[in-house]
Amino acid sequence: MRVLECPLRLINFVGRFSPPVFVQTEIAAAKRCLTRASLLLATMFSVAISTGCNAGDRGLLNSEVRRLDPSVLAPFPFTFSLDRLGLFFLVLILAVALPVLIFSVSYVSRHYTPARQKWLWALLLLFIASMVGVVAASSGFAFLVAWEIMSLTSAGLILLEGSSGERRHNLFIYLLMTHAGTAAVIASFLVFLPHSHTLDFTALRAAGATLPHGARIALFLLAFVGFGTKAGIIPLHLWLPRAHPIAPSPVSALMSGVMLKIAVYGFVRFAFDFLPGGPAWFGYLVLIAGAVSGLLGVLYALAVHDLKRLLAYSSIENIGIIYMGLGAALIFTAHDARTWAALALAGALVHSLNHALFKSLLFLGSGAIADSTHTVDLEKLGGLQRRMPVTGSVFLIGCCSIMGLPLFNGFIGEWMILRSFIGGSTLVNTNAQLVLPLMVGVLALIGGLAAACFVRVYGVAFLGRPRSAEAENAHASPRAMRVGTVMLASACMAMGVWPGIFLRPIVSLAQSLVRAADAPPETLMISHVIPWVAAAFILLLGGTALLKRVKRQARTWACGLPGLTSRMQYTSNSITKPVRFVFARVYKADRTLQMLPEDRPYFPASISYHSERTTSYERSLYRPFVDGVMAAANQLRRLQTGNIQVYLLYIVLTLVLLLLYLRFAG
Amino acid sequence: MKIALGILQMVLLVMGAPLLRGIVGRLKALLQRRQGASVWRPYSDLWKLLHKEDLTPPSASFVFGLAPLLVFAASILVTAFIPLLADSALLGSAGDFILMVYLLAFGRFFLALGGIDGGSAFGGMGASREVLVSCLAEAPLLLGLVAVAIQSSSVSIVGMAGWALGQSFFNISAVHLLAFLALAIVALAETGRMPVDNPTTHLELTMIHEGMVLEYSGPNLALIEWASAIKLSAIIGLLIAIFAPWGMAVASSPAGIGLALVVLLAKTFAILVALAVIESAIAKLRMYAVPDFLGVAAAISTLAVILTALMKR
Repeated sequence: MRVLECPLRLINFVGRFSPPVFVQTEIAAAKRCLTRASLLLATMFSVAISTGCNAGDRGLLNSEVRRLDPSVLAPFPFTFSLDRLGLFFLVLILAVALPVLIFSVSYVSRHYTPARQKWLWALLLLFIASMVGVVAASSGFAFLVAWEIMSLTSAGLILLEGSSGERRHNLFIYLLMTHAGTAAVIASFLVFLPHSHTLDFTALRAAGATLPHGARIALFLLAFVGFGTKAGIIPLHLWLPRAHPIAPSPVSALMSGVMLKIAVYGFVRFAFDFLPGGPAWFGYLVLIAGAVSGLLGVLYALAVHDLKRLLAYSSIENIGIIYMGLGAALIFTAHDARTWAALALAGALVHSLNHALFKSLLFLGSGAIADSTHTVDLEKLGGLQRRMPVTGSVFLIGCCSIMGLPLFNGFIGEWMILRSFIGGSTLVNTNAQLVLPLMVGVLALIGGLAAACFVRVYGVAFLGRPRSAEAENAHASPRAMRVGTVMLASACMAMGVWPGIFLRPIVSLAQSLVRAADAPPETLMISHVIPWVAAAFILLLGGTALLKRVKRQARTWACGLPGLTSRMQYTSNSITKPVRFVFARVYKADRTLQMLPEDRPYFPASISYHSERTTSYERSLYRPFVDGVMAAANQLRRLQTGNIQVYLLYIVLTLVLLLLYLRFAG
Repeated sequence: MKIALGILQMVLLVMGAPLLRGIVGRLKALLQRRQGASVWRPYSDLWKLLHKEDLTPPSASFVFGLAPLLVFAASILVTAFIPLLADSALLGSAGDFILMVYLLAFGRFFLALGGIDGGSAFGGMGASREVLVSCLAEAPLLLGLVAVAIQSSSVSIVGMAGWALGQSFFNISAVHLLAFLALAIVALAETGRMPVDNPTTHLELTMIHEGMVLEYSGPNLALIEWASAIKLSAIIGLLIAIFAPWGMAVASSPAGIGLALVVLLAKTFAILVALAVIESAIAKLRMYAVPDFLGVAAAISTLAVILTALMKR
């Protein structure tokens, strides 16, 4: 246990001493921070736009566009360059980062002491820059350095919010799991090394085509586990619902909206760019993992009433949907149906972009709620739409998007993935013909449950009567916070109403990744139909709104009681109770209800209810694993006798073994 | 000509919707040996409601007033997907069934929000039950349509109808039978009919749809009631179009369309009779038996999809 305590101590240490490092006049420093932030942003945008234009002109995936090579700093190739895949994710990062930073301008100054503010800005910008670094890296070493900075800065940002014992425990789990994932990613790079001799991406790509079968499988599985941990695929998701809710809201927005997509980027890079083609079971693995994550993620989201935790679970669900699309694309590639593969992959990428936008919108919305009411517990909210009209409206747009309602951006990605599933019936392989169309049902169930979940979120938090004094006295958010969320909401609406603006480059990116000759015709169709549907919808809406009517406010009849109180409303828990009742099996593992005596369930003498704080994953999956590691470590301790002669013997034995190896195997 | 026909079909579905409700009510009354109201009664109800004032609860936000408009607009848009008289519709060749199903979900979502916004106990109760039914109905609905889509290699309702038109009635496959069964069950749930929801009750223990709309009055209520009537007519139209389109006009001559209209009315009447018999003969299911009922639909539609793969071998 000693070893395990070390990171904890480190966190403790940093947490205790970090804030009061700078002592300066507050306002001037804050202004300077802002100037720097905007300067950095401007630089990032100009770089992005100039590289973007270049990439668009040349339209090539594999050619270097801008190459940054600080290799003198390192003994390894340490290069950055952007190709189209990287560029897409760069746009995704910056599209979310700008509104989040604008939101933070007022959020941060309202919530943190000046000293902490400086740390927060520094870490926040470093966090964004490191994510840019990951997608811009063109060698394994640069990738891993940026990846590690990304993990550590996000952990530091979580720490800034506070460092109580429970938070440190959650943070520890986050660090532990994210590093386990990183280990798998490093290992997958190392598997390449004997075949490519360097970690430069061009060399990896070349080696990927000629990799032996066993190495290919090992590589794929390592990449799947490594990036799956960071993306929050169930059962590797343990850290996600712990780390995301305890971060400051803008950071939660970036972690859920962007950092998870960086993991998706890594997986796409490995599975599609480095390893073209593979057996079909790769695809089924990804597809099933995605389906399980999607279904369980949304079911867990239904059971929690801490808004940020709920959003974190819903991120797991959406990552599940993205992985379903990726899995379908892999299956199609394995069966050489490349146009369908392009559609599925484009769907996954589109959903990544969409999820980045609406999930960061929802997290920022929850930050605005927390700012105004000091709670994100759904049971204490209510009636916020009338008190925070702007936040409420953008939150409604976010909810509509996340449920995949047409005319909002979430629909486009889900639609593309659904269509590609139906396309599975055109394959000649019976397995694919069976599995892919059935996945339509799974995705529909996920969508239906997500609808139930977000009817509850918006309905309970923003509609009806306030359930607490804090919600009663909620006030509108400051301007910068509103501007940030409105930007994201308008992006969600614009992309939902006019998908043509962003669909074509993504489809052609997907096409080049799966080497498809033709663009899937379906995407053309959706970008033609949706604007017409939107126009008709608005016309109908306007027509109906013209209806002449006399309005009057009237008190709701309270069945003869003096008046309605907020306690008579359905609570956050009771709204989803029927759904949870139907899926009780999923939750059963963590709670037990006992009625005594047992033969008379309707007339109990006593009822005992017990719910576990740890999830069943921890108890039945992680605990045995950790116990096993500890047991093995205890066994290994026998080697450590403390006697110097024995250690000398070990050295001699190792030497002899190595010499023998060289003699016979080398 | 095609556009005119498309608009005519939409007008039929939208304006004829209350009549279908009236006919079902009258048929049920006859089966129960009651006199029953006139079949035109829903129209006069709507007319009356449209001229009353709109009462808004003091706690309600703009969502309360917006929801009926959205529900109404979305259900009208759904009718644009459905071919009735010939195998064409306004959004027929371009719009696919996924878009149609999600448009239905659009209306439902806002209706549930409107129910919660009233701030009373019943709104939340109705919304809670509605999302349960709808989240379980979504999968069998899409899967049933997927089975038909695979069979007819077309994802638009018009394409499915066109394919079925080319087949002889006796050539119809097991896939179609299973998909029809699943979609018929889903249709009962989606339109809030008898074994799932009782459209004539206001008893708090059982109501789903009525619970959600309890706080609405006047024009808002008229829009919601009309929208749910349109939903019924659209779903009946959908079932006819993909499972029994025979009789649709092939050439769009006035005579052909007139004949198609007569055939359509006959088919619709047959479905309404079946609906009335079901509603009179079957008792409403207990709330927690509804998931089992929809589970049957999900199983049947899964079977239909599996059959499509097996039949191709």
